[in-house]
Amino acid sequence: MKKSSLGLALAVAFAAAPAFGQATVDQKLQILQQEIDDLKAQARRSAAPAQQASPYSLDYSSMLDRSSGLADGGTHVVGYGEVGYSKFRRSGDATADLQRFVFGFNHRFDERLTLHSEVELEHAIVSKDDEGEAEIEQAWLNYKMSDAVNLKGGLFLIPLGILNETHEPPTYYGVMRNQVETRIIPTTWRELGAGVHGIVSEGIRYDVGITMSFDSGKLDERTTGIRSAHQEGQQAKARDLAVYGALNYRRPGLLVGGGVFTGNTGQNGASNSALQGVSARLTLWDVHAQYRVGGLDLQGLYAAGTLGDADKVTAAIFAAAPTPADAFAAPKTLKGGYFQAAYHVYKRGNFDLAPFVRYERIDIKQQEDPPNGQLQDANNIERIKTIGVNFWVHPQVVLKADVQRYATDKFQDRFNLGLGFMF
Amino acid sequence: MNWRPRRSLALLMLALGAAAAGWVRGEVYQEPDAFVAEVFGTRPEAKVLWLTKDIQAQAAAILGHPPAQLRQRYWSDAHRSVWILEEIGKEEFITAGFVVADGRIEHVRVLVYRESRGGEIRYPAFLKQFRNSKLAPDNTLDRSIDGIAGATLSVGAMERMARLALFFDRMSRQ
Repeated sequence: MKKSSLGLALAVAFAAAPAFGQATVDQKLQILQQEIDDLKAQARRSAAPAQQASPYSLDYSSMLDRSSGLADGGTHVVGYGEVGYSKFRRSGDATADLQRFVFGFNHRFDERLTLHSEVELEHAIVSKDDEGEAEIEQAWLNYKMSDAVNLKGGLFLIPLGILNETHEPPTYYGVMRNQVETRIIPTTWRELGAGVHGIVSEGIRYDVGITMSFDSGKLDERTTGIRSAHQEGQQAKARDLAVYGALNYRRPGLLVGGGVFTGNTGQNGASNSALQGVSARLTLWDVHAQYRVGGLDLQGLYAAGTLGDADKVTAAIFAAAPTPADAFAAPKTLKGGYFQAAYHVYKRGNFDLAPFVRYERIDIKQQEDPPNGQLQDANNIERIKTIGVNFWVHPQVVLKADVQRYATDKFQDRFNLGLGFMF
Repeated sequence: MNWRPRRSLALLMLALGAAAAGWVRGEVYQEPDAFVAEVFGTRPEAKVLWLTKDIQAQAAAILGHPPAQLRQRYWSDAHRSVWILEEIGKEEFITAGFVVADGRIEHVRVLVYRESRGGEIRYPAFLKQFRNSKLAPDNTLDRSIDGIAGATLSVGAMERMARLALFFDRMSRQ
């Protein structure tokens, strides 16, 4: 509609209003709105392609005039981050760290095809003289055929545990991520691969696929289980692959689920020639549950795993180590679990205050090699008690404080303060 | 596991077969038009709620951000009103239809869900929690809504939209 005719319609509508009363004016306003909506629709149709790139421009006033279908071209910026301060009880040392800042771009190519990505910067500065790291945490494509069937491919998170897929700071209790989902399940754990996932029935979500496996020739940390051997998409050795599967049931207030990941990790000695021909099969699995009722929030998880040919992996680590002191015994079995309880004592508007307690057990048994001096590390059998509080000032911004006590490695006893956000 | 092309190909074929079997139109569960028609039997004339400055301020308090619209369409009869609302979950809009009867939520349906995670909110087990809810004096719901693990932001968006629908219904009847 041309400007002149819209102006005429406005003039007629308001000029006639006193003679027809309230109802008539309302009707005319509706007509005017329809005309404006028509103009908007015309403007959208005639807009250049670049101006159509935002399919979800808010236009509540004309909801039914536009298709509720899913147009293409939308790109969304997402992110999260956390800052932590720790005061160690035994040494008196204190540290403060921008633990991570993560940003990502999610792009919708069309109704079915989307890209999901996250780039993570750890410890604020990345340079050869600093400990910071820059890494791609996720970069995967999803093709949605239906709610029940999604195909995905790229670098994606392995669906084990609770924290690995949902790890934004406002979504978990405590300044530090729990140690079970750090040392047994190596959160944030992602691999290159392909998978199928979806919701098959009310609340039942499955996720299965094939990915790169671990590379046990890269093991270089003695107290983090198999963590240092995951490949994370960095020129991954692909001689040995792995498969995974996860099943979760969700309904309001309840999550029950589990997952398993298994694959050989020897990679035919690509990273450590002593592992040539060694299978070193790794199997990790977990079961978990979360129950929220009223202000109570309960969560528990048990994870376990085995590394086959651990004796050969221990020998390979010893053979490759510059000195015997640099070598260590490979993990043979991994077990761990935690239970956590929180209660939302104050909730008003965006403010939400929830004290919590958490008890964790970690048992990583190593394949000892006494003749070469490779023995079990005492710190691999650990019990951790955490008591603290989360205070959300907004559903996406949280302040945290807690105290942690370690049964074995008492140098880790500490008081933590944290700040986390996601968007 | 050693790389076995045949086995991987078989797995891929299995996945694609499952995908083909499950092929339905995803994400759009019901067109808003159809939702309105289902509620009233026919599609009545749309009405418009004009958002005055006072209504805008209260809507902003409910949403946590200013409403983007100055006019909100709705459909109503003597007792019921229907509101089609959109709110961002984590990064994409959720479109939901709310039926308000005598100041209480009578029915809620997720019409379009675009997020990659959190789709569990569209099932009755979650949505039935809103049934019969009404606004408390401070424009919050008169009951707590249990969340879905991993869908915190989508749950929050649904709760905000429910409050907004109840608030708009109240304003439309003044």
